Amino acid sequence: MIRKIKYSILIVLAVMLGTSCEKWLDLKPEDGIIRQNFWKTKEDVKSSVIGCYSSLFATTQTLFLWGEIRGDMITSTLRSSAEQTEIMNGNILSSNSITNWRVIYKTINYCNTVIDFAPDVLKTDQTFKEEDLNGYLAEVRTLRALMYFNLLRSFGEVPLKLTATASDADLVQLEKSSQQDVYDQIVADLAFAEQYAPLTYGVREQDKGRITRYAVYALQADVYLWMENYTDCITACDKVINSNQFGLIAGRIPNEDNTDSIPNPQWFNTVFYVGNSNESIFEFQYDNQILNPFYNLVISSNRQFTGSTFVMDEMYTIDLLDDTKKDIRGDLASIRSSDMVIWKYAGANNTGSMRSQTTSYAHWFVYRYPDILLMKAEALAWTSQGHAALNIVKEIRDRANALAATERSPDPSSASEISDYIMEERAREFAFEGKRWYDILRNAKRNDYANLQYMIDIITKIAPADRQQSMINKYMDVRSHYLPINLYELQTDKNLVQNPFYQ
Amino acid sequence: MQGGGEKARYYASLGYFNQAGTTVGTGMDRITTKINLDYNVSDRIRFRTDITYTHVATDFNYTGSIRNIAYTKMPNMAIYQYDEYGNETPNYFSPASNIQGQYSSTYNPLAMALIGVNHQLGERITPKFQLQYALIPNSVLTGTFDIQFDVNNSKTQTFLPQQATGRPTNETSVNRATDSDGDGLNIQTKTNLIYQPKLKEGHAFQALLSLQSNDTRNVSHNVATTNTASDILQDASNPSRTQNSDLTLASSSSQYRSVGALLSAQYGLYDRYLVNVGLRADGNSRFGPNNRYGLFPSVSVRWRVSGENFMKSLTYVDELSLRASYGHSGNVPGSNYSFYNFYQPFSFSYCGMSGVYPSNMELVNLKWETLIGKNIGFNLAMFKNRFKVDAEYYMNTTKDMFYTGLQISSFTGFDNVSMNVGTMDNTGWEIGLNTVPYKNTNWSVGFDFNIAKNINTLRSVSEFYPKTNGAKINTNGVYQTYLQIGNPFGSYYGFRYLGVYTDADATIARDAQGNKIIGPNEQVVQMRFNYPSIDYQFQPGDAKYEDVNHDGNIDYMDIVYLGNGIPKFTGGFGPNVTYKGNLKLTLFFSYRAGYQLINGTKMTTSNMYGFNNQSTAVLRRWRNPGDETDIPRALYNSGYNWLGSDRYVEDASFIRLRSMTLRYNFPQELLKRIKFKTGSFYITAENLFTWTKYTGQDPDVSSSRNNDPLSYNVDNSMTPPGKTFSMGLSIGF
Repeated sequence: MIRKIKYSILIVLAVMLGTSCEKWLDLKPEDGIIRQNFWKTKEDVKSSVIGCYSSLFATTQTLFLWGEIRGDMITSTLRSSAEQTEIMNGNILSSNSITNWRVIYKTINYCNTVIDFAPDVLKTDQTFKEEDLNGYLAEVRTLRALMYFNLLRSFGEVPLKLTATASDADLVQLEKSSQQDVYDQIVADLAFAEQYAPLTYGVREQDKGRITRYAVYALQADVYLWMENYTDCITACDKVINSNQFGLIAGRIPNEDNTDSIPNPQWFNTVFYVGNSNESIFEFQYDNQILNPFYNLVISSNRQFTGSTFVMDEMYTIDLLDDTKKDIRGDLASIRSSDMVIWKYAGANNTGSMRSQTTSYAHWFVYRYPDILLMKAEALAWTSQGHAALNIVKEIRDRANALAATERSPDPSSASEISDYIMEERAREFAFEGKRWYDILRNAKRNDYANLQYMIDIITKIAPADRQQSMINKYMDVRSHYLPINLYELQTDKNLVQNPFYQ
Repeated sequence: MQGGGEKARYYASLGYFNQAGTTVGTGMDRITTKINLDYNVSDRIRFRTDITYTHVATDFNYTGSIRNIAYTKMPNMAIYQYDEYGNETPNYFSPASNIQGQYSSTYNPLAMALIGVNHQLGERITPKFQLQYALIPNSVLTGTFDIQFDVNNSKTQTFLPQQATGRPTNETSVNRATDSDGDGLNIQTKTNLIYQPKLKEGHAFQALLSLQSNDTRNVSHNVATTNTASDILQDASNPSRTQNSDLTLASSSSQYRSVGALLSAQYGLYDRYLVNVGLRADGNSRFGPNNRYGLFPSVSVRWRVSGENFMKSLTYVDELSLRASYGHSGNVPGSNYSFYNFYQPFSFSYCGMSGVYPSNMELVNLKWETLIGKNIGFNLAMFKNRFKVDAEYYMNTTKDMFYTGLQISSFTGFDNVSMNVGTMDNTGWEIGLNTVPYKNTNWSVGFDFNIAKNINTLRSVSEFYPKTNGAKINTNGVYQTYLQIGNPFGSYYGFRYLGVYTDADATIARDAQGNKIIGPNEQVVQMRFNYPSIDYQFQPGDAKYEDVNHDGNIDYMDIVYLGNGIPKFTGGFGPNVTYKGNLKLTLFFSYRAGYQLINGTKMTTSNMYGFNNQSTAVLRRWRNPGDETDIPRALYNSGYNWLGSDRYVEDASFIRLRSMTLRYNFPQELLKRIKFKTGSFYITAENLFTWTKYTGQDPDVSSSRNNDPLSYNVDNSMTPPGKTFSMGLSIGF
């Protein structure tokens, strides 16, 4: 009897152990999506592509800082962090968190994830067609190219990660790829996207907030211009121009009785406050659910940056004789002249009201139509078509009512003179849009740093008196134009070598 | 209360505990009840039932940083507002911002402590049932079955009123209410079969088969809303703002299971030799299918030397035994489902469409962390147990050590990963002494002493493991630590502080002989900091660091060893005196010796770097050329005056009178008269004195991250242990 009980207990236990253990321990999460259940339908693909766009919001602050902090248009305040002022003073250390590229690679990884897993959906969802897939791939490959382009311009050489990190078995220690390799990858991604990116999504905010084929062309033009491939740059620009999908928002409109023209009162509202205007090509679509980082950076009373005083004094200038004459891009559009607040992000209208913390959702402008025109002008200038280049600059200036004081008359045969003039115009047109430093660097590094003096002059102007000499010395070494790789990355990847200036 | 008879026994207790915290606005209320019921069905079947219920209501401060803010806030700012006639009003003075910043970097700390709400409620019921069945009587084969439920429900409510921060009403910090519920249910079962055959005299054998299972479920619900209409409306359910990336409405549920089987056998011979071997198999749902199970053997032996015949002549030895053991055991990682790749939605939409992103990576390589313990020890009792020693030496090796959040290159798209990173040794020894040096009929004087040492060393580590703590040694306030395979943890490195450059002449670089360094054009060379990347030239009034290599440049090459935050020895000791067995005085001292602590408070209260309140030490700061002082000049948000240096490193060895207790047990005859079973009265004083050279608030800074070879201990003056006095009367009937 006892033996019987003993055995039956043992048998029951053995059965329990052997069969149900595995099942009992195999727990799946009850909420949340896991990869095994994802990548089944076209909706899955779409939501992960949208996820790539959503992740762009996290990059805005980095893009703003990388594009402006080393330039001459923003200046620090008492509230700037020590790290921010260090960079402005030319003390760029690998420990500075502004050199952290994490947010950029996060987006790249999301893009890589779509590129790796979306093709599987073709097998499970019959309504998901090859062309749908290619459309989505075009979007994410363009985003990836955009991110690598920012890295290329900021760091020079960076590790090229083209596959998703989905499990700890995917972890690798990469080396830096050469500038040429990164550039080739960007060009390859864009060549793919050029074929498959949609021309329109049928909804205006998506046409401006997602990658269209025009956005691909715009990025191509920028990339070619950076690598001094002017013919391809012009071709890419022309594709946008000849599409006739974009135009400049008029800076002047007829007055009430059609006798004269007045500055367009809606110009700031259309182009910057609301955004997605007819001249917009690609903008990060901030709205009231997701605020941009500019409240803390440039709006709040503890703002960390304002515009430099010379932005108003020298770039836009003021007509002292006739104060009705104003560059429409200047006071209360890019900047508020009374206190140098960066109005492009802070302004709620063109009469002086500011955005509050809860309404700080100005878009981040990646490409606007004037960019296409001015990139083309720059490429024209360097392919001996100075007159055509100057005509474009005039078109931009006329629409903005640029003041006579900022007009130059460069020699149409001197590419570098025109180019310097275009830089001035670009500064006015794209003030605080994260383009200034890259413009300075592109202009200086062209033809093997033939125009390094252009950058040195700017540095001389912005350097604090006690640091001027050491900053100039530093910037004379062209290797210092790229940021150091963040210490964190060097510590976590033993194959990564610090950029030469910072070794 | 307890009682019962042969068939059944019962026990019931009820307790209430109330405590006001050290910081205003904190406190705790606790009620515990316990009921035990035993019922013997027959002499072979027995039931046991234990039910415990605990209710805890705790008030915390809204944020943990109140003390910190109180230290650093401008001392001349009023607590309350004044009206235009200069009368104090009952309203807290909470400006939206001031020179020191705004919430959350500064606020009115008293307002925050008193009107900020952080209330936590816990209800916990633990019923436990046990069935014992003697399969073969006389304890030859016994089976037990245990099942325990643990129902643990908690609720946390917080509220941040506008008055505490002073921020404008459209911000999400204003009238912010959160409410979170957590429901946990844990079911544990244990089935034991114990086999204990009757053997010949002198032999003892016991075998155990134990099967265990564990199932834990957690469900939680969180909500955060802001901008309720008034700071009286403190519940998150009030109409308020609910949509913002800063707000939450979330719920989650998770489950975790484990099974274990243990087979062990113990054999004893003549009460002198004892051998125990065991084998444990574990399965756990936190691992992926490839690494789900682990096998963990163990063995231990004990030799009671005093039982041997040759020891019989040494009559003063009461007990001497030697022991040794070796065993494996397994640890599981802290998080569930880590071997799945999750996709999560963003909390906001893009162009009106919602997006998802991969929020983690799947951990396919995560496996059991195995702890291999080895130890030898002995205990010795002599002179009728008046002298007892217990000594042990241990070496625990953690193989496949877990590391949560190991930093990885961010080009992977992630910042960190949890993985098995390497092997760590934890070695140490402990000696405990219990002595009664003096004893007569009325008096008994005892003295206890213990000492321990513990060292952690890393034996091997993953290539992903950081080589240093990532300290930016050229930035203020941090120290460098290095990953040193084979060396004990806890050492940190920094500059050597030499005081202040008194004047311009002092800032000129000098070589090893003290002669000024002359440049190629006969010019004098200034001392520099971190040439060429920072290239700061030291000015009079700046902190002076030792130029160890005499190259006129203070940089990473001038970093030296400054100290180690892990004590060489820790322990405690104390005498006790008993009079007539009823009155007993016990003193207990604790000590830690041979370690250096970084006084973080000294650093932040004398750096003069921002707008924070400073200590009076800064009154003697350098102001004019020629000033001889140890405090550098004030530099707002710039300069290198408070780099990690020995200026803040202090010897923190201490001895503390941890507790002193006087206890009086009521004599038996008195108890009998008033019909009580037991009764005693006591007075206890805790943390009365500390003897130390350390200048900070409390040298006993616990190192929470002992397993991190790259961390170092900083004293930031957290709430120190209070001096407490308690009196008690305990009676049993």
